[in-house]
This record gives sequence, structure tokens and C-alpha cells, in this order.
Amino acid sequence: MPGWHHATKALQEDGSIQMVGIIQEQHPDRARLFMQWKEMGWPILVDSYDLLEVPYVPISLAIDEAGVIRKVLPAMRENGSVGDDFMVETFGASTPDGATSPPAARPDVGALYARARADGSPGAWKAYGDAIAVWGGAGRMDQAIEAYERVVEGEPDDGMAHFRLGVAFRKRYDSEGRREGDFQRAVDAWSSALDADPNQYIWRRRIQQYGPRLDKPYPFYDWVVTARQELQARGEEPAELIVEPRGSEFASPQREFVAGVGSATEPDPMGRVLRDDDEFIDAEAVAVPARVAPGDVTRLHFSFRPIARTKAHWNNEAEPMLLWLDPPEGWEVETRMYSQPLPPELVSLETRVIEAEVRAPEELGRGPVTIPGYALYYVCEDVNGVCMYRRQDVHAVVYPER
Amino acid sequence: MSTPARSLAVTMPLVALLAATSSTSGQRPPQPFQVGTPFPTLSLPSLDDGRPASIADFRGRKLILHIFASW
Repeated sequence: MPGWHHATKALQEDGSIQMVGIIQEQHPDRARLFMQWKEMGWPILVDSYDLLEVPYVPISLAIDEAGVIRKVLPAMRENGSVGDDFMVETFGASTPDGATSPPAARPDVGALYARARADGSPGAWKAYGDAIAVWGGAGRMDQAIEAYERVVEGEPDDGMAHFRLGVAFRKRYDSEGRREGDFQRAVDAWSSALDADPNQYIWRRRIQQYGPRLDKPYPFYDWVVTARQELQARGEEPAELIVEPRGSEFASPQREFVAGVGSATEPDPMGRVLRDDDEFIDAEAVAVPARVAPGDVTRLHFSFRPIARTKAHWNNEAEPMLLWLDPPEGWEVETRMYSQPLPPELVSLETRVIEAEVRAPEELGRGPVTIPGYALYYVCEDVNGVCMYRRQDVHAVVYPER
Repeated sequence: MSTPARSLAVTMPLVALLAATSSTSGQRPPQPFQVGTPFPTLSLPSLDDGRPASIADFRGRKLILHIFASW
């Protein structure tokens, strides 16, 4: 896409061509950074829920003055160029038709809700879900999720509804209204979407974004590092990202899973460190994907968030946070000990995520499998400043593929 | 997507994916947009300010539209 931008720069400057983008991305602010980095200042429309129902990206289209598609454009290499007759070859003799379209507008969410309530069909709930998901803002994700849940209940094979349900869950997970299980439910909804249509590339990409390295075609957001460096070198302030990419979103693909146990010794084998039972740090485990076939690898995301209610914060003066995994018989890990470097500040409130990959055995039973472990960390109370070394037992749950 | 290598990476897994599915082996994914038909005029939020925007807002201009993601 930067290829077409550069190839048509002169045509954009003389007003012959207007570039427009539509992004299919869970986190649209990342596209803002990308556009800034590539110096592409054209308008972008956000389609995180894939209302356009495109099965893959990128797609480049030439659209004439009347809004009619004139050509599906091929990929353009970054230093490519267009010939003198590009405009005629692409658009033919199209001329403005003088017609106008109604201006872009928000849908009438209230009317769509009334219709969904009265009609009760999956289609009516989907229309309401789309409207509230896209236009309701982060505070209305509960309603969007409820609407899409009604759709998939009535139409379990509606892959698009499963996909949008997953997008809504992940959006709520990234918001203040987060509920326990939102991320896992997003991943599960995307898995259900792929069950309905395994060829839908955008749905697959959402799982790959957080999934094991064996399934990755390339690192998804490695460009963010380069973009920031180059923007800073240009004297520009890089556009801020609402949700910082991490772990699997940066990870490079892997050809082979290398099982091992590492040389580390178990940090608390006797279980003597006092437990934090969700008093100071809220822990959550998500498996991406949650369903595995024998021999499959899944990526576990263990997240740890200081609990605002008890006014807890991380203490960063001592050794790094640790995660120890104790996989069941036959399940393989690359290492059992994971260490999380601490931020430079003495105290902090960030959410910490430790990601680990596990491989299912060739012989896999039928029931869910629990992969246990525990984290060790320093946490303090704001109120009287008491700092403690605590252990929290965690576990991820993985299911055999149906 | 930012480099020629990445553009290639975007298409490769798709081909591999289709090749792995016997019933669709060798097929290209169907092009979702047909030449000669109007592009959908649905309203979507603008990345700039979240306001409703549509391809129809650009009536009277020749457009190159990219549907993409930064990954």
C-alpha cells in the first residue's frame, strides 16, 4: 500500500487522485502510527468488525467519480511507478455523474434496538450489534456482546457474528469495563468463527496475533519499533498507542517447537511463600488457542494486574518477577521458569503479561487439561506502605479439539 | 506490509492455507468486489476523529482505495 502511495504521489498532488484507506484492525491507533511513519496523510475509515465482510487484506481498488469500482489493482512494490496512461487505463473515460449520496451518518441505534426486541431474529440482533459495537463506544461493549451472543445462539454457523463477538470481547478486555475471561472468550469466538469458515484470513490473523510462534507467518508488530526510532530521528513525536503490542505480537515465527525444562531450580518447591489470593494482584490465564489437537502448540498468556480496590502496586526494588510452570505428564514446555524484568521506576502499576508456549502430547484425552503454575512477586500496599513477597497459584485450561 | 518481503509474507500463508484445504486446492480466494459495481456506501468511523465517514463522501473524485491492516 505504501507502494501505490509513492507511485501515485504526483497524481495525488495535482488532484487527479484521492487516496483513501479502510483498516481491518483490532487496534486502529496502530494504523495511525503506521500512516505517520510512512507519511501517508490520507483519510482512513476504521472497520475493526469487518462490516465490509472482506475475507482478506490487502485489497486495492480504483473507484470512479460515481463510486463505481473500475479496477482491482495488483500489489505495487515499494519503489514502483505508474505509466503516463495509468489514469485512462484504470478509470477509462469515466466522468462525474453529478449524483450525490446521502452523507455518512451514525445509524439510529435506538430504532435498531427496538426492531431487534420486536423482531427477535438473529439478523435484527446482528444489525443492532453492529451499530452499538461500532458507534456505541467502549462503554457500550456489554450491549454489543449481548447482541452478538444472541446472533450466534440463533445462527451458530454465522462465522462473521462469532468474529465480531470476538472483536467486541477483546475491545472490552482493553477497556476499563474489562471482565474476567474477556480475552479468552475473544479467542474462543475467533476459533468458532474459523470453524465456520477456515479460509477467512482476517479471522485467522486475529488468533495468530496472540497465538504460538509455529503459526505465525511473520512478526506482526515488529515495525512499531522501527517506526518509533525513525519518527524520533525525524524529530516527530510518534502517535501514541492505546494498547502497547507485546509478546506474541512481536514474536518471530518458529519452525520447530524445542521442548526443554531449563536448568532453573523450582523457586518455591515447598509452597512456603505466602499466597496472594487475588487480594493484591489479579491474575488471569488465557490459552491461544484454547482447543488443541494432539501435538499442537498453544500460547498461554498469564496476566497480572494490581487491584485498585486494595490499592496495591508493584515493588521494583528487588529481583524480577518469576513464573514457574508445572505442566502435566506428556505436556512439553520450552522452559519451566519465566522471568519478567522489572521497570526502572521503584513502584509501578502496569499489567504484566508472561507468555509461555506448551505442546500437547500425541495421546490426548477428551477432557479439559489444567496447566498449573505459580508466580512470585513483590507487591506493596499504598496505605501503610507494607511490601510483601507473595506467591499466586495460576492455571491455564486447554481443551482437546472436538 | 511495510517492506517487499512483508508483502510476500502476506500472500504466502494464504496460498499455503488454501493448498492445505483439499476442496479448495489451487483456488484463489474469491475477489469480494466486482468491477462495474458500486462500492458499498456504509458509514464507518474516521480514524482521525471517530466521526461517520463513507466512500460516498468522495463522490466526484477518482479514488484509490486500500483495504489493509498494519500487521
